[in-house]
Amino acid sequence: MAEEFLDRFLSEYYAEGEEHLAVIRRALLTLDDAVGQPRPDAAVTEELFRSFHSIKGIAAMVEHREAELLAHEMESYLRALRDGQVRLSTPGVEGLIAGTQLLEQSVAAHRTSAPQPDIASAVSTLHALVADDAGATAAGDAGPVPENPAAAVASWRCVFTPSPELLGRGVNVDVVRSRLRDCGQILRARPLIGEGGAITFEFLVSGEPDVATREAWLADGMACTAADAAEPSPAPAVTERATAILSAGHYVRVDLTKLDDLMRMIGDLVILRARLVDALAPVEAHVPAHVWRPLQETNAGIERQLRDLREGVMRVRLVPVGEIFRRMPFVVRDLARDSGRRVRVEMTGQETHIDKFLVEQMMDPVLHLVRNSIAHGLETADERIAAGKRPEGTLLLAASAAGEIATIEIGDDGRGIDAERVVARAGAAGVPVPAVVDDAALLELICSPGFSTREESDRASGRGFGMAVVRRTVQELGGSLRLWTEAGRGTRFTIDLPLTLAITDALLARVGHQMFAVPQASVREVIELEESAVQRLEDGEVAPYRGLALPLVRLSQRLGIASVPERRLHAFVLGQGAAAVGLVVDRIVGQREIVVRSAVDPLIRVEGIAGATDLGDGRVVLILDAAAIARGVRRQGGAAARAATA
Amino acid sequence: MKQILVVDDSPTIRRMVRASLARSLPAVQFLEAGSGLEAIERLAVGAISLIVLDLNMPDMHGLEVLNFVRSHQKYRHVPIIVLTTRGDEGSRTAALGAGASAYLTKPFTPEALGNEARRLFSGGDLSASA
Repeated sequence: MAEEFLDRFLSEYYAEGEEHLAVIRRALLTLDDAVGQPRPDAAVTEELFRSFHSIKGIAAMVEHREAELLAHEMESYLRALRDGQVRLSTPGVEGLIAGTQLLEQSVAAHRTSAPQPDIASAVSTLHALVADDAGATAAGDAGPVPENPAAAVASWRCVFTPSPELLGRGVNVDVVRSRLRDCGQILRARPLIGEGGAITFEFLVSGEPDVATREAWLADGMACTAADAAEPSPAPAVTERATAILSAGHYVRVDLTKLDDLMRMIGDLVILRARLVDALAPVEAHVPAHVWRPLQETNAGIERQLRDLREGVMRVRLVPVGEIFRRMPFVVRDLARDSGRRVRVEMTGQETHIDKFLVEQMMDPVLHLVRNSIAHGLETADERIAAGKRPEGTLLLAASAAGEIATIEIGDDGRGIDAERVVARAGAAGVPVPAVVDDAALLELICSPGFSTREESDRASGRGFGMAVVRRTVQELGGSLRLWTEAGRGTRFTIDLPLTLAITDALLARVGHQMFAVPQASVREVIELEESAVQRLEDGEVAPYRGLALPLVRLSQRLGIASVPERRLHAFVLGQGAAAVGLVVDRIVGQREIVVRSAVDPLIRVEGIAGATDLGDGRVVLILDAAAIARGVRRQGGAAARAATA
Repeated sequence: MKQILVVDDSPTIRRMVRASLARSLPAVQFLEAGSGLEAIERLAVGAISLIVLDLNMPDMHGLEVLNFVRSHQKYRHVPIIVLTTRGDEGSRTAALGAGASAYLTKPFTPEALGNEARRLFSGGDLSASA
C-alpha cells in the first residue's frame, strides 16, 4: 500500500495496539490463575480473543507482518480454547505470555524502525498448541459447551426504540446498553424488526431498574417491563461481559504532543496573567474604588478559571499507575522461575493517576527495582524457611497520591541490603564512604555512578540500567528517591514524583539581588531564626528545630552570591525527618504559580538548579532543586548535625 | 448526500476505511459504528447508501448483521462490503451466501476499496439513497 497513506495511520496503530496489549496483559494474569480448572472464564477468553483479533486486523492494514502473524497464532489458540477444542494448559498460557511479550517487542521495534525480533519459533510453538491438543481432545468434547456460570435469571425486559431525535441527544443503543449493564447482567441483546421495517432493540437484564429510573428512561425511548416468568432465560451473552474498550462515540484518542501544546499555551496564559497583575498593581492608587473593584474581581476570576483550566488539562493527561504495575507480574513470574524463587506480587493503589509522560518514564526504573528485589532482595524458599519466614517472598508495588505528589513504592520482605558489603564494594570502587552509613547514605552509595554490581550481574539485574540511572531519571522528573532497608526484614524504595511537570505553585525568595523559586510541594515549612540561634560547627551550621538540630545551608554561600543580610534569618525546611535541612535565604517574597522550563541540556545543568521560569515581567528566575540541595547538605553537614544532637 | 456507514470496532480501521473511500468518492458523508447493534441503529435512523462491515465485532458477528439487514424488504437492497482478516477466508463463502455485495481481506488497498464502492454506486442498486 502507498507508504504515505500508511504513515498517516501508524501512530494510531501504536496507540490502539497499546490499548489492546494493556487489556491482554490484564486478562493473561487472570488466565494464568485458571490453569488446571476445567474451563477458563469465557469472558476472559473472549476478551483475549477479541484483542488479538483487533491487533491482527490493524497490523495487517499497516503491513506489519510479524505482529499480524503472532496475533493470528494467539487468536487461533484462543478460538480453539473458546470453542472447547483444546484445554487450558500451562504451556498454553506460557505460549501466550511469551507471544505477547514478543508482540510488544515487535510493535516497539516497528515504532523505532529497529530490526524485527525473530518470531519463527514462537509462531511454531503457538501453532503446535492448537494442532497437538485439538487432535487429542477432538473426539471427546467438540463444539462449545453452553456456559451459564451465574445461572442468572432474566427479570426485566427493556425495549429501546432509536430515533434521530434521541441520537441527536446522544442517546444511542450503546448508551442504553451501558445503562442496563449498570443495573445487572445483560443476558441477551438483539435487534427486532417490526411493521414497515421499524427497528427496536430488546435487552433481557438480570437486575431491576428502580421505578424513578424506569420513568426517566421512558423519555429516552426505553420501555422496561418485568420479564414474563415463562420467558426462557438464555445463556448469558458472553460478549456482553467482555469490556468493549473502544466503543465508538465515548472516547477520543489524542496525541500526547497535542496536550503538550495545550499545556504550553496555558503556561503562556499564566505568564501573561502574572504580567497583568504586575501592571494592575500601580493602577490601584490612581483610580476610585468603584472602578478598581470590578477590575480586581475580574482579575481574580481569570486566575480561578485559569487554575481550573490548568487542572482540567492536567487531568486529561493522567493515567492510572496500574499501567506500570500490570507489566510487573510477568517479569516477576519469569525471574522467579529462572532463579528458583517463589514470589507473590501485592499491588495497591493501581488506580492512582499520574501524568502519562511520567508513566512512560517510570516504566524502566520500576522494572529495574523489581528485578533488583528478586535478584538481590528476596531469598530462595529454603533460605526463607531457615530464616523463619514464609517460603514465598512478597514483592510490594504500591502507589498513592497526596496533594501534588504521587508516591510509588517498590518493596520486598527479603534479606535487606547488606550495608557492609556495599561499603566494601564502594571503597574498592573508589567511591567516598561517609563515617556513618544510614539508609540515606546507603542509597547515595548504591546510586553513585562508580558503584557497579557487575560482579554479580545476571539476567535479573544488569541490562545497563543501574541505580544511578534510576535516580537520575527520578530527579529529572522533579522527583526524589528514598530507601528503607533492614537486615532480614526487607528493602523498600520510595519514589516521590510531582503530579504535573509543567505548572506548579512555588515560593519566591530573594538572595542578594537575585530571585529564586522553590516548588511549594518540596517545602515542608517556612521558619524564621535569630542569627544568635545558629550554632557553628566544624563542618557546617545547625539551628534548633522541633527538638532536633537542623543542618543549614546558606544559598548565598552555596551559589556564591553576595547576601544582603537581615536581622532575622528566613529558611525553607526541605526534606523529611532526619533528612531535613534548612535553606537560608535573605527574604521570602511570596507565593506564585510558575511555569517550569526544565534545564535538560547537560551543558547548563548545575546540581541544585531544576530549571527556570519567566515571571511575566521579563525577569527569569531559577528554580531550585530542593532534593539535590538537601542531599548536598547532608553529605557535607550530616556529621555536624549528629554531633550537635549527641 | 450519500451516507456511508463504516462498521468496525477498531477506530483506526474506521479511519483508514474513511480515508480510502474519501479519495475515490468525493461527495459522501461518513457515519461510524463500533458495534453490530450500533450499526443497525444507524441503519434504522438514517438513509444509508453503503455499508462497509467488519465481520468480527464484540456484540454481534458481522454475519448476523448481514443476515438482519438482508431479512427485511426495507433494507435488503443496501450494498454491503464485507471486510475481514487473513486466516478467516472460510467466512467468505458464508458472507457472500448471506448476501454480501463484495468481500475484501485486510490489508486492502485504498484503491481496491474505492473501486468496489464506485462499482456498487454505479450499479443502480441504490433506490434508498437520499
